[in-house]
Amino acid sequence: MAIIEVKDLVKEFVVVRKKTGLGNAIRSLVLPDKKIVRGVDGLSFNIEQGDIVGYIGPNGAGKSTTIKMLTGILYPTAGSIRVCGLSPHKERKAVVRQLGVVFGQRTQLYWDLRLGETFELLKRIYKIEDKRFKATLDMLNDVLRIQDFIDTPVRQLSLGQRMRGDLAASMIHDPTVLFLDEPTIGLDADAKHAIRGFIQTMNRERRMTVVLTTHDLDDVEQLCSRLLVVNHGRIVEDGPLDSIVGKLAPHRLLVIELSEDVQAPEHARAKIVRQDGLKVWYQFDKAAISASELIADLSGMLPIRDLSVQEPDIEDAIREVYRTTG
Amino acid sequence: MSDMRAYGYLIKMRVLTALAYRFDVWIGMIGDIILLAASVFIWKAAYGGDALGSGASIVGLDGMITYTVVSVLMTTVFSTGVQNTIYNQVREGNIALDFMRPLNLLGIYFSEDLGSMVSALVNKAIPLVIMASLLFGFPMPDSPTAAALFVASCVLSFMILWLMSAMVGLVAFWVAELGNLGMVKDAFIRVLSGSMVPLWFFPEGLQRISEWLPFQYTYQLPLSVYIGMTTPLDALRGMGIQLIWVALLGVLLAWIWTRARGKVMVQGG
Repeated sequence: MAIIEVKDLVKEFVVVRKKTGLGNAIRSLVLPDKKIVRGVDGLSFNIEQGDIVGYIGPNGAGKSTTIKMLTGILYPTAGSIRVCGLSPHKERKAVVRQLGVVFGQRTQLYWDLRLGETFELLKRIYKIEDKRFKATLDMLNDVLRIQDFIDTPVRQLSLGQRMRGDLAASMIHDPTVLFLDEPTIGLDADAKHAIRGFIQTMNRERRMTVVLTTHDLDDVEQLCSRLLVVNHGRIVEDGPLDSIVGKLAPHRLLVIELSEDVQAPEHARAKIVRQDGLKVWYQFDKAAISASELIADLSGMLPIRDLSVQEPDIEDAIREVYRTTG
Repeated sequence: MSDMRAYGYLIKMRVLTALAYRFDVWIGMIGDIILLAASVFIWKAAYGGDALGSGASIVGLDGMITYTVVSVLMTTVFSTGVQNTIYNQVREGNIALDFMRPLNLLGIYFSEDLGSMVSALVNKAIPLVIMASLLFGFPMPDSPTAAALFVASCVLSFMILWLMSAMVGLVAFWVAELGNLGMVKDAFIRVLSGSMVPLWFFPEGLQRISEWLPFQYTYQLPLSVYIGMTTPLDALRGMGIQLIWVALLGVLLAWIWTRARGKVMVQGG
């Protein structure tokens, strides 16, 4: 059984259109110009336990709305959701007990109190025994190094520390599923690295299912075994990152640096797309020829000093998905 | 119910938070003392002249001063932050985080208000009583029985006030701009609860209507018990009416809550 099952999910919002001008403002007080907008428009997908799934899409695609329905905050207009076998909005308390949630732009930590105080509260909310609480804190400390600032008031933490605190807080009750809504937003490279490492550790050691929304494609590349791409409230791509990128941008590049200026020869299964001084760019389809084969062929024909293989640009591929489905 | 420890810790955290804002407490106290002194001087002036009519014969000046001092104390201690809490959490979208707790949302906000009350008792009420005693003499209850009944009645008063605040707060799920509705409710409470001017100074008709509204059971009832204007038997009868209001408002709040739940929107992504 899948840990998350979503079927034909729809969420409609009523949007009041405001027009400019005093006359229109008064008119809209009496007769508001209401319009129904579908934020989520017929989503269906399953997520298996132990997966790390990237849930991506442009701004306003319905990502956060979906997460908020999965966590029982918003009621769906139509369709069904099962998280750990339960309906999140009907049995919110039972479902959220099994969830860890981090909203990158918000914090569940108590602003004016020391960080540890939030953990103490969570210990009582989830009824964690002293021994297990201590063990979990130790484990979290190993990965997130929260001990350094556990006695600091939350408002004095840096964004990176705060995010580590938020991640620890979301994990303290050993949840089955972790929802991360833009967990690396605004963080520096070091903090991002720490947080990605943490997600991987938790996934590997505790078989924790992770659903991640992000705009940072490095997150996706380094973490996600599967990608769900949404646009306009619908799923437009579903599969491993490689296959999505491979489908949209199947070509890779072999860049060869020559040791002397010669005319580069054409190859039957690779095309020269650019030549600039001593550098030649061969474009090839990895389904048609492997990089090693191509290198072997060319090294007999060319004086090669150095070479590198360039993967297709993920960013370009994703932008292409957004554009063609937009 | 073992969730109690979680709610209990929420109370404690709110007390700790209040301690972090001690400057705020002192500034608030100055405001309370000004309000207190102004009210007392107005009553002294009113009783000195002949402006009060038949109302003045009901309670003498000393009783009225006690009434006023205790009323200001009640206002200071009663914390119904729930209204603004819901409004702010909805407006800023942080309501999403509250929903992530496997607890009752209104239970969370109730615990936080209880925490505010505990800290207000220590932080604000005690200094205010000392100040008032120095200025106007200690506000003595009519009898130990009156004091005990007053405390019991205050518990119910607070429940009525809190339930009304929570209801107004929940309106934020339908309308994004709540500000004025809260002000209207607060104005009703200030005037019709008898917290500033007891209702016996009001026209007969208004007094009759007000008996059928919850407001006078928030301040006037416990206060008139305290100064001995209400007999213990009438006090118990009044507390019965308070209980009915708590039950009615509680049912209404629960109903609004189930309706509001489906209306949740989360602002700001």
